[in-house]
Amino acid sequence: MVPVAVYFGLFFVVPFALIVCFSFWVDSNYTVVHHWTIENYRYFASQSVYVHTMWSTLWVALASTAITLGLAFPFSYWLARYVPRGLQKLLLVLVIVPFWTSYLLRVYSWLNILGDNGLINTTLQKLGLIDQPLSLLYHRWTVVVVLVYLYFPFAALTLYSSIDRFDWDQLLAAMDLGASPVTALRRILIPQIRPGITAAVIFVLIPILGEYLAPQIVGGTDGIMIGNQIDEFQKYALYARAASLSLLVAAFIVLLLILFRRSLGTREAYGA
Amino acid sequence: MAREAGVLSGRGKAARGVLSGYGAFVYVFLFTPIVLLVLFSFNASEAGSFPITGWTLGWYRQVFGDPDIQDALRTTLKVGVQVTAISVVLGTMAAFPLVRGGLRFPAGFRVAMTLPIMIPGILIGISLLILFTNVLHVQLTQQTAVIGQSLYTTPFVLLLVAARLEGFDRNLERAASDLGANAFNRLRYIVLPLIFPAILAGALFAFTLSFDEFVITYFIIGSSNTLPIYIYTQIKYGITPEVNALAALVLVASIALLLLAFILPAGYRLVRKLTRRAAPAAA
Repeated sequence: MVPVAVYFGLFFVVPFALIVCFSFWVDSNYTVVHHWTIENYRYFASQSVYVHTMWSTLWVALASTAITLGLAFPFSYWLARYVPRGLQKLLLVLVIVPFWTSYLLRVYSWLNILGDNGLINTTLQKLGLIDQPLSLLYHRWTVVVVLVYLYFPFAALTLYSSIDRFDWDQLLAAMDLGASPVTALRRILIPQIRPGITAAVIFVLIPILGEYLAPQIVGGTDGIMIGNQIDEFQKYALYARAASLSLLVAAFIVLLLILFRRSLGTREAYGA
Repeated sequence: MAREAGVLSGRGKAARGVLSGYGAFVYVFLFTPIVLLVLFSFNASEAGSFPITGWTLGWYRQVFGDPDIQDALRTTLKVGVQVTAISVVLGTMAAFPLVRGGLRFPAGFRVAMTLPIMIPGILIGISLLILFTNVLHVQLTQQTAVIGQSLYTTPFVLLLVAARLEGFDRNLERAASDLGANAFNRLRYIVLPLIFPAILAGALFAFTLSFDEFVITYFIIGSSNTLPIYIYTQIKYGITPEVNALAALVLVASIALLLLAFILPAGYRLVRKLTRRAAPAAA
């Protein structure tokens, strides 16, 4: 037991304490001066670039999470309800197959789908629907599309395992009692899988807040996220600046986890 | 499920039809990037993009002859084995007190052990970078990358082993104890065999995650290259289909490994069943 505590203490807890300290110190001549100040935070708040990137990160993260869950819910519902049992396992494995090849190259592959000579533009041009290639790359939306692609399996697996435990007779009973299919879904199914939905949001939203690769490869200047700025600071050995941006992200995540914990907690209080 | 087929109303059938079409669309969405990746690995053109100018296996030949790739592969495997070993030992060790109690701060311990998989990798990367370069003043090497990756993989082993321990009948250990087994023998002959499948699954998981880990590794590996780091440097300068061929090979290898993971336990069970049946006959 002691070795585990020492290992995680030294390499996980201590580094986080360091992030907190460094974020209140200042960079000077490639070293960090141990002088307590909120100068880093004041700097970020005063530069419109950083304020803009923070809003943009939040926007991309929320949009990607909403779309990912919106796409994953009907998929998981279909898989759990309409696909024969034996086939379900195979289709689930197929959802994870994309994970078995390089994450970087899966992102890179989108250049060949969305680029000027990419799959979509070539097809549309061949069909005669457009003359000039559409500009699909290097927008904030491009980052959202690729993030939805990257995180869809997390949401689908989590939602599926939650829906899979649902007793479909309850839905039929609700409709026998006069509920429309939509009402039955909203009042019977959704409340019962709420912990699964919360878990899916956690698995998708939190890692996206720290993304820096997808925005770097497909986002252009429009798609920059906080992660890219952290990376930029560490390249120039501005560790105090990098630490303070990291702490902002971490603080936001802790806040989210506390909020979600409450939403998981109330459900447990009902004993469901 | 059989009920569904018989009783579905017209509207139910329509819903099933629409959703099945949607399900197919999801698989197209998930697989198009991968299909393209593999497609370009056979493309004769140098550019690694459309148009397809002809078909070749040359890129695959080149992968096997490329010293940079072989070097990166060696590093990846070396790092992966170390990460797997560390996460299996630490994860299994941590699972026992978590499930069986005896911790002074169980909630705090649980959070500290599962947080590394919840928070974005960049935070782990940056915080370790600061620890190594500004506080400990150590050189960034493969070893520092091993430490970073193991923080992320150990919790998976912990969760898998803990789940197995939850369903563990402790009477088995008490019975062994009554029969005179000491702590070591109880562990060796009762506990470890029963949790072994979880440990194996954890090891496989840890190795797979390590094999493709980029986000943490990038900050703390120094000048070494793992395969993902190598691919990243290639992407910066525009990749050649050689990298696509490499990715296709990795995909095939992962699928083979996974099939093996499914087949091995089944084969093991079969062999045991056969030998057990044969044993009394031999006696």
